Amino acid sequence: MVKVRVKYFGRLRELLGVKEEDYDVEDSTLADLLLKHIPSRHPEAANEWRKTVFVTVRDDVAMGRDGMPILKNHFILVGGRSPDLTYRLRDGDEVAILPPVGGGDDEG
Amino acid sequence: MRVKISENLDDLSGLIEEIKGVSNEVGAIIVFVGVVRGLSSEGERVLRLEYEAYEEQAAKKLENIIAELKGKYGIIDAIVEHRVGVASVGENTVYALVASKHREEGFKSIIELIERLKHEVPIWKKEVTERGSRWIEST
Repeated sequence: MVKVRVKYFGRLRELLGVKEEDYDVEDSTLADLLLKHIPSRHPEAANEWRKTVFVTVRDDVAMGRDGMPILKNHFILVGGRSPDLTYRLRDGDEVAILPPVGGGDDEG
Repeated sequence: MRVKISENLDDLSGLIEEIKGVSNEVGAIIVFVGVVRGLSSEGERVLRLEYEAYEEQAAKKLENIIAELKGKYGIIDAIVEHRVGVASVGENTVYALVASKHREEGFKSIIELIERLKHEVPIWKKEVTERGSRWIEST
């Protein structure tokens, strides 16, 4: 079993109502985590999660030519690096799911 | 180079002295102060902004940006401080200081630094107005 810590920020933290949480997964890719494990732990927010994180067509997550889901302007870091969604999770990984950023003072 | 992501900003005059002391070649210090504006882009009255950051990655990203600006423009040094947490209208939320030999490279650097801060650094901002709240995303 592989234990990973997942961190949420901004609107995703608000949507799921949690800043970070641990997942025990087995033989899973980053795509599995985002598409299966996280939504199944948060069923009440699952639909909104999919629509927020992924490109969707009629409520279904759109898949790219590589068979992987297409992220909607979100950015995933694992241990500070940005791997493909095919990345196979390893024990101790820290996965951060980053919505589009917007720091600073105004919207200019 | 110094970067700080924190609930509190340091005293600005102290930061100016700090960056001035880095080198006796400093001939210009450009200072940017970000302030919480009282009106949103839709003309609503703003009550507060709420900032959150992926702090370790935000600091690392800012350090990388400053290192790149040093290489690109030849500035001497930079300091960036960014608030997290709740900030009320009129409060300062960002300090960015660039020290250079001459003003020209300082002005160019500060513009690029702030643009990249908004678009690349993992800091999120929620605007709370009298009509509701929304997450602000740079475009």
